[in-house]
Amino acid sequence: MTQILDFRNVDLFYDHVHALRGVSLSVNQGETVALIGANGAGKSSILRAITGLRRIRSGEIHYDGQRIDGRNPADLVKAGIAMVPEGRRVFPYMTVKDNLLMGAFTRTDKAGIAQSLEMVLTRFPRLKERYGQAAGTMSGGEQQMMVIGRALMAKPRLLLLDEPSLGVAPKLVQDIARSIVAINRDENVSVLLVEQNSRMALRISQRAYALTTGVVALSGNSSDLLSDERVKSLYLGGEL
Amino acid sequence: MEQVIANGLYLGAQYALVALGLTLIFGLMNVLNFAHGQMYVLGGFITYVVYGQLGLPFVVAVLASGVTLAVVGGLMERYLFRTVIKRSHREESTMLLAAATAFFFDAVILLVFGEKQRGVPKIVKGVFNDFGVILPYDRIVVGLVAAVLILGFIAFMKFTKPGRAMRALAQDRTAAQLMGVEVDRYTMIGFALGAMLAGVTGGLLVSITGVNSGIGGPISIKAFMMIMIGGAGVVSGAIAGGFILGMMESVGLTVLREYGDVTYLVIFAALMIFLSIRPNGLMGKPWG
Repeated sequence: MTQILDFRNVDLFYDHVHALRGVSLSVNQGETVALIGANGAGKSSILRAITGLRRIRSGEIHYDGQRIDGRNPADLVKAGIAMVPEGRRVFPYMTVKDNLLMGAFTRTDKAGIAQSLEMVLTRFPRLKERYGQAAGTMSGGEQQMMVIGRALMAKPRLLLLDEPSLGVAPKLVQDIARSIVAINRDENVSVLLVEQNSRMALRISQRAYALTTGVVALSGNSSDLLSDERVKSLYLGGEL
Repeated sequence: MEQVIANGLYLGAQYALVALGLTLIFGLMNVLNFAHGQMYVLGGFITYVVYGQLGLPFVVAVLASGVTLAVVGGLMERYLFRTVIKRSHREESTMLLAAATAFFFDAVILLVFGEKQRGVPKIVKGVFNDFGVILPYDRIVVGLVAAVLILGFIAFMKFTKPGRAMRALAQDRTAAQLMGVEVDRYTMIGFALGAMLAGVTGGLLVSITGVNSGIGGPISIKAFMMIMIGGAGVVSGAIAGGFILGMMESVGLTVLREYGDVTYLVIFAALMIFLSIRPNGLMGKPWG
């Protein structure tokens, strides 16, 4: 299997805080990989490093066979890496339509953009109803769907999702989980999913990495991890 | 009454243009551009030289003002503000830098153009006198051009890709970056555009009120008042603030005339009370 993302032995600092310590992980073509772990374990830092929002201190990041650490975010979006950031980060005073179009900012193929828009609106019919509405006035769940749609507008080959279940009504978490599975299956996109809702993340992914304070503590097949005693006590809150 | 409204609209349109430039720069970079009035003055002097001295068409002169200020603004962003923002962790640094550029421009303008009040030949002769309104034609032309520029600016921000990029940047910088917006490039475009608006307005207005090297500071103050009224970083707020200030000035100059030169005293007092009630201005949100 070819790797679309290869994250090798990466160290990352925030001033003097050592946020990632020699972290290695990979995503294979077509896979959904979950990153689980407590708040502050370094999950988001990994995504920020991949997208170029944060410089890494040492190590290497490879995407699609090319080294990408040190490249700027706009370049990486063009290369096919799209991210759904933590806390959604909608453009609150822009309409749903303009938000979605911002997702296609780096693209110039008009026909292709129209196609992606059609696909997103079919996948999330709610957005069609809210099309001309300011994004900031929608519910958390609707906003989450919109930012996933916004990321898809870039026609990514690697989709990074940071806590898509955060601040979303429990009923909608299921919907979002299903959408992620469907997107991974239908859109030829590999997924790296960061989640605090570990059970959901392990259920919809093939492989997973568990992080503790900037170190990969455990990794393996998601189904194995779901029944692993250590994972149960550390990340799944004991009961299952 | 009609006269007061007509004057207010004329003033409001030009004020709104100045405020739009200021609010654009603030919305994009969180920089309060204290040199905005000086940019206006520089634009005025460029039109004075190109149209008044060299005798080229007025349109060419105003374009020259706009282009020069766009270049000046772009360079200021690239070599001054960007550097300071990257190196400094304190917001005040850009305020000090902006104040310094304002003083610098004041000094340069005084040195190059002298301290005399400068005017240019009228662009259109004659006076409109009907419906109880007396308004020279040149004011009508300038007011209409200003209105068209305001509409053009709104359309640019709403319907073009660079406009969308700048609105996105103002609303969420990180998210805009994740969409592939080149932050440095669009911040520079925004600063250049804001400076250009100041320069164009200065160029337009030299045909009516003339220009002198000392009015930069007062114009900056008026521009700041407008965005305080409307709410900083909001397009609709800048426009509202411009027209409200224009109207207040127009009403004040008519109604309060007999009490002496108190219009701005009253406006300042009203603004202080207003801000204590609504510190974010009328539209306290970015980029609606």
